Amino acid sequence: MDAQFLVSLGLIAGTFALYIGIAIYNKAKETSDFYVAGRGVPPVFNGMAIGADWMSAASFIGLAGTVMILGYDGLAYIMGWTGGYLLLTFLLAPQLRKYGRYTVPEFIGDRYRSNTARLIAAVATIIISFTYSVGQLSGSGVVIGRLLEVDTMIGTLIGVVLIAFYSAMGGMKGITWTQVAQYLVLIVAYLIPVIFMSLQLTQNPVPWLSYGEVISEMRSIDQELGISEYIIPFTEASKWQFMALMFTLMAGTAGLPHVIVRFYTVKTMKAARWSGAWALLFIGLLYLSAPAYAAFSRFILMTEVAGSSLGNLPAWTQPWVDTGKLSLADGNNDGVLQWTELVISNDIVVMATPEIANLGIFVIGLMAAGAMAAALSTAGGLMIAISAALSHDIYYRSINPNASEKKRLSVGRWSIVLATVAAGLIALNPPGAITQIVAWAFALASGSFFPALLLGVWWRRANGPGVIAGMIVGLSVTLGYIFAAKYGGFTILGIIDTGAGVFGASAAIIANVTVSLLTAPPSKQTQDEVTDLRYPEQIQYKNGEYYKKDVL
Amino acid sequence: MKKMDPEQAKAYFRLRTTLIMIYLGIGMLVSFGIVLFAESLLSFTVMGIPLPYYMGSQGAIVTFIVLLFFNAFISDYVDKKFGLVPKDSSKESDQAANQ
Repeated sequence: MDAQFLVSLGLIAGTFALYIGIAIYNKAKETSDFYVAGRGVPPVFNGMAIGADWMSAASFIGLAGTVMILGYDGLAYIMGWTGGYLLLTFLLAPQLRKYGRYTVPEFIGDRYRSNTARLIAAVATIIISFTYSVGQLSGSGVVIGRLLEVDTMIGTLIGVVLIAFYSAMGGMKGITWTQVAQYLVLIVAYLIPVIFMSLQLTQNPVPWLSYGEVISEMRSIDQELGISEYIIPFTEASKWQFMALMFTLMAGTAGLPHVIVRFYTVKTMKAARWSGAWALLFIGLLYLSAPAYAAFSRFILMTEVAGSSLGNLPAWTQPWVDTGKLSLADGNNDGVLQWTELVISNDIVVMATPEIANLGIFVIGLMAAGAMAAALSTAGGLMIAISAALSHDIYYRSINPNASEKKRLSVGRWSIVLATVAAGLIALNPPGAITQIVAWAFALASGSFFPALLLGVWWRRANGPGVIAGMIVGLSVTLGYIFAAKYGGFTILGIIDTGAGVFGASAAIIANVTVSLLTAPPSKQTQDEVTDLRYPEQIQYKNGEYYKKDVL
Repeated sequence: MKKMDPEQAKAYFRLRTTLIMIYLGIGMLVSFGIVLFAESLLSFTVMGIPLPYYMGSQGAIVTFIVLLFFNAFISDYVDKKFGLVPKDSSKESDQAANQ
C-alpha cells in the first residue's frame, strides 16, 4: 500500500462522501421532486448539472485519447458532442419544456395521442439508456480497478453499489445538486494536468493558446518519421464517415432522454434557453481542453518516452503494460524504443498522462476522483431515465393508472436498483469497446427520438401512425446498419457502424412524413397544441385566437 | 388574459424562426462546411494550427457557445419588444423549490 494508493483512495472517498451527503440531504419526498427536482433549478446550476450528466466516462477518460490516436479524425467527436446542443437548445428543449411532461415517452404519447407510441418510446429509452450505462459502469470498473489495484470486476461491483444507492435515495433533485458538485470536481481534475503540462512544455499557463506551438513542432517530427501527420484530415476514415459520425453524435445528443429530461427541471422556456447556453459553456471547457491534452500527451510520448532505451524505461510504464493497454515491443531489436513501436490504447491516455508527465500523486489521485465523478454522474442520470420510463410510462400510464404516489416511487426505486445491477452484470464482461457502445447508443437515439421530437414539435400534421412507423423504421434501419457494417462488411461511402444514425434519422423522417400524410390528420386540439409551442408561456394559442397572459 | 393581434403573434414566430435558422446555418457552416473543404483549407493557419484542425478543436465549439448565449440574449430582447415580459419573475418560488 503506497502513498499513491492512499491519496487516490482518500480523494475518491472524500468526494463520494460529499455526493452522498448532498443526496441524503435532498432526499426526495414527492414524485414531482423525484423526477424533475420540483422544476426550480436556476439555469447556471442546471447548466452544470447537464454538464456532469453529459460528460461521461467516455468524454473524460476516452476523448483526449481518441483525438491523440486519430488526430484530426478524432475531432468529429468534439464537434458532434458540442454541436448537438445547438439542435437541442434551438429546436427542441424550450418547446418540450412548454409542453410540460415528466418524461420524453410521455411527451411522445401525449403529443401524438398514441399509447403504442408511448410504449415504443419507453422501450427505446430503456434500450438507449441501458446501453449507455453499461459503458459507464465498465469505465468506472477500469478506474477503480487500476487505482485501487483491485480486479476490474470488483471495481465494477463497487460502482454498481454506489450508483444504485444514491440514485434510488436522492432521485433527480438529490442528483441535480450532487451533479453540480460532480461537475466542479471533474472539471478541476481535468484542467489541472493540462495547465501543468502547458507550463512544463511552453511556459504558458493557458493551454488553449499554447498548444499551437506544440502542434507545429509535432508536424516536423511527423514529417521526419514519415508517418501520417497528426493534423492532416481523413487519414483514418473517409470524409463521409467523419460527417456521418458528426451528424449521429449531434442528433443523438438532441435525442437522449436523460439529457432532455434535464430541461424539464427549469421553470420557463427562457430558462431552458439559458440552461442550454450555460451547459455548453461548462461542457465546452472540457471539450476545448481535450485536444490540448491530446497534443501535450502525444508530444511528451514522442520526445521523452520514444527514443529511450528499453532497459531503462520510466517506472510508470510497467503497471499499464500489465493491464494490456500499452505495448512497448522492440520491433527492430535495437534496444531503443521507437515511436512506431509504442502502442497505447485510447482509454488510458488521460489516466496515464499525469504519471508520464510526473505531475505528482495529488494530481493523479484527483484524476481518479474526476473520472469517477464523470462515470457516476452520467450513470445516475441514465438510471433516472430508465426508472422514469419503467415506473411512470409503462407501469403508471399503461399497467396501473390507480397506483398511489408511494407505490410509484417504490417501483421507481426498485427499477433503479434492478437496472443498475443488470447493467453491472453486463459490464463485468462488456460486449465491445466503451466508445463503440456509446456511439451505438447515440445512433439509436438519433434514429428514434430525434426525428420523433423534431417533427412532433415543428410539424402539426405529424400523427400517431406516422411516429410509430418513424420510430420502428428508424430503430430497424439503425440497428440493421450497425450490424451490416460491423459484421457484414457492408458500407455506403465508407460510413461504418458508428455513423449509422445518419441513415436511421433520414429513414425515420421519411417514414413519419409519408405515413402521416397517408393517414388522417391529428385532431384540431392536437394541432392547436403544437401551434402553441411556437410561443413563450406568455402567449396562449386557442381556437385560432392568441391570448397574452401574465405580462407586465 | 387579453386577446393578442394574430398578425403580431405570427410576426413573433417568423422572427424567432428566421433567427434560429440563421444561427443553425452559421453552426453548420463552421462545422460541416469546414469539413467539406478541409483539404483545400490546410494552407491557412490560426496560432500555428492549420485552419481545419483549429476549427474542429476550438473555432467551431467557441462559435456554438457564442451562438447559444447570443440566442438567449436576443430572445429575451425580442420577448420584451413584443411585450411579453412575465408579470411575476417568480424569484421567490424558485428559491422555495430549492430548499
